[in-house]
Amino acid sequence: MPQNPYLNVLITAALTIAFIIVTSYGLGFLARFIARMRGASPKAQEVTFAGYFFASPWIVGFLIFVLVPLGFSLYWSFTDYRVTSPDPAQWLGLDNYKTILFEDEGFRASIINTLYLTVIGLPLQLGVALFLAVLLNQKMRGERIFRMAFYLPVILGFNTAVLLCWRLMLNTGTGIINQIIRAMTEAFPPFGLLSRGVIYVQEVVAAFFLGLNTGKYNLLLKVLEAGFPAENRVPLWIQSPLWTKMSVVLLMVWGCGAMMLIFLAGLNNIPKELHEAAEVDGATGWQRFWKISFPLLTPYIFYNLVVGMISALQIFEPVFVLYRDNQPILSSTISMVYYLWQKSFSHFEIGYGSAISWVILVIIMIVTVIQFRLQDRWVTYDVY
Amino acid sequence: MKKYLPIIKSILLYALLTGATVLMSFPLFWMISSSLKTIEETNSPGIVWVPQNPTFEAYFAIFQNQDFLRSYFNSVFYVTLALVGTLISIAAVSYAFSRLEWPGRNVVFFLMLSTMMIPPQALIVPQYVFFNKLDWIGTFNPLIIPGYFAGGAAMIFLLRQAMAQIPKELDESAFVDGANHIQIWWEIILPLVKAPMATVATFLFVGLWNSLLTPLMYLQTIDLYTLPVYVSTLYNINQTVQPWPTIMTAAVLTTVPLIVVFFFAQRFILESVVVSGLKG
Repeated sequence: MPQNPYLNVLITAALTIAFIIVTSYGLGFLARFIARMRGASPKAQEVTFAGYFFASPWIVGFLIFVLVPLGFSLYWSFTDYRVTSPDPAQWLGLDNYKTILFEDEGFRASIINTLYLTVIGLPLQLGVALFLAVLLNQKMRGERIFRMAFYLPVILGFNTAVLLCWRLMLNTGTGIINQIIRAMTEAFPPFGLLSRGVIYVQEVVAAFFLGLNTGKYNLLLKVLEAGFPAENRVPLWIQSPLWTKMSVVLLMVWGCGAMMLIFLAGLNNIPKELHEAAEVDGATGWQRFWKISFPLLTPYIFYNLVVGMISALQIFEPVFVLYRDNQPILSSTISMVYYLWQKSFSHFEIGYGSAISWVILVIIMIVTVIQFRLQDRWVTYDVY
Repeated sequence: MKKYLPIIKSILLYALLTGATVLMSFPLFWMISSSLKTIEETNSPGIVWVPQNPTFEAYFAIFQNQDFLRSYFNSVFYVTLALVGTLISIAAVSYAFSRLEWPGRNVVFFLMLSTMMIPPQALIVPQYVFFNKLDWIGTFNPLIIPGYFAGGAAMIFLLRQAMAQIPKELDESAFVDGANHIQIWWEIILPLVKAPMATVATFLFVGLWNSLLTPLMYLQTIDLYTLPVYVSTLYNINQTVQPWPTIMTAAVLTTVPLIVVFFFAQRFILESVVVSGLKG
């Protein structure tokens, strides 16, 4: 291979295309041959050829990049395989899984952190998304511009550059967010009371979750002992383990545009007649929202919930950009995927990393299945 | 009083929406504003909304920075190469799933949909070993080549839905006229799904441009870094004072392509998110 990295990849790409064309023809001919053996008509043989010819990139890719890797990682997950080690891998049986589930503090932390994001962050995100969707659903001029403005953060969302801007804004001392909080407190003292109340509740909850994590509740006791925050207190954002997860929640809420679009579609699907009839009967807008819109939106809420939970497991970029260089607080915010990355690629423990991958895979499948089971209980599908 | 109620209501509505827009766009405003500040202003204990004397120093400096320019080129290069291949292969596979009735299609299609449940990160470990065996670590290959095999089940689904809506008679009559499947696919079907293709291309572009995890794993020297990896190195905890104007200048230049693409593609995206999201 040539030394020039650009030429190198161009040649590989050309070879790949050649490989894909060859395998497409190969798979197509094979399928046609089988069809002929089974006595298909000439026309059916032709369609069989074309079908496998066009679908072959995905089929071949699935084998090479999904199925075979999954198989290997399942096998490695029972061994102590390391890329760097010269010794052959030892069969460990279920040891890796036992360690992950019962002893591994980092993994435990990542589960608790995801739980926090699900219990505290997701309702906030869903609430804001629903609120914006209801506002946009009023059908007024300029709707498109607002819609764009609310969706743009989803596009920019997890770009490193934008996350660095958040790092600047979330600085405890000189960051703009805390400066605005200080300025508002000065101008309007009751706001300070409110913000300190929020700080207090947030810190108690976060300390409780950190306690769940370590099994010791010293921090929670300390927060409770300190009592109501002093007058000059501001959120500590990326500087304190009590606030790291809240900073991620802030990013989640900022990127709620995708959920908002789903809600908007849901609101559009609600028959107008329902609202008109209720209005005739004298229901207020507030009542109509809770008695008509909200129950009919449950499938959309449910969908957003599943997607939101799965993406909370997969958060990587915010943790990397905001906390990577701050080891002492990293464990308070680590996500499952970040932990997988850290564990697999710091010591190249492929066996252990594979086991983590499989645990994540199984957790995501369980979440999906449970949610789909549960939805019958509380989701309203009437009218559709 | 009753007469003014609708007016008050719509004023309130616009006030809320404008407020939300200001909050949502604030990081973007802050990024631009900070890129025009001096280091002292970015670390000032008082609020500096807009710099007193906007300075383009950071912009001039960054265009002299070889590492930044190279990472910009790397990003453009790798995204272009990956995007074209992924888009064409996705279009081919969608054609097979929507326009052709071949035995086994439903099984393969179901298999494809079920891969959406597999988080891509669950595959990074074995894929790393695989690419290591191929001696692809330290090259762009692992970021580009997998896409050539129609990577992205959700995108295939989106495009398949669009293709399935085209009347069947269209390709049948072309077939009678002696066209083969490649011609029908390329010359008849693809021109009819330009808007969904633009949507898919936009999503792919955004995903590739923002991608951090895979470049971080595979590009191990600074001369191969893509923008997200390079920009993340600008913030360094060992520096006593962070060069915020420089970091934010890099951030602005990184975000510009995303905003431009979003601006042109927004009418496709805002509609299809809902379609693919709900049915996916």
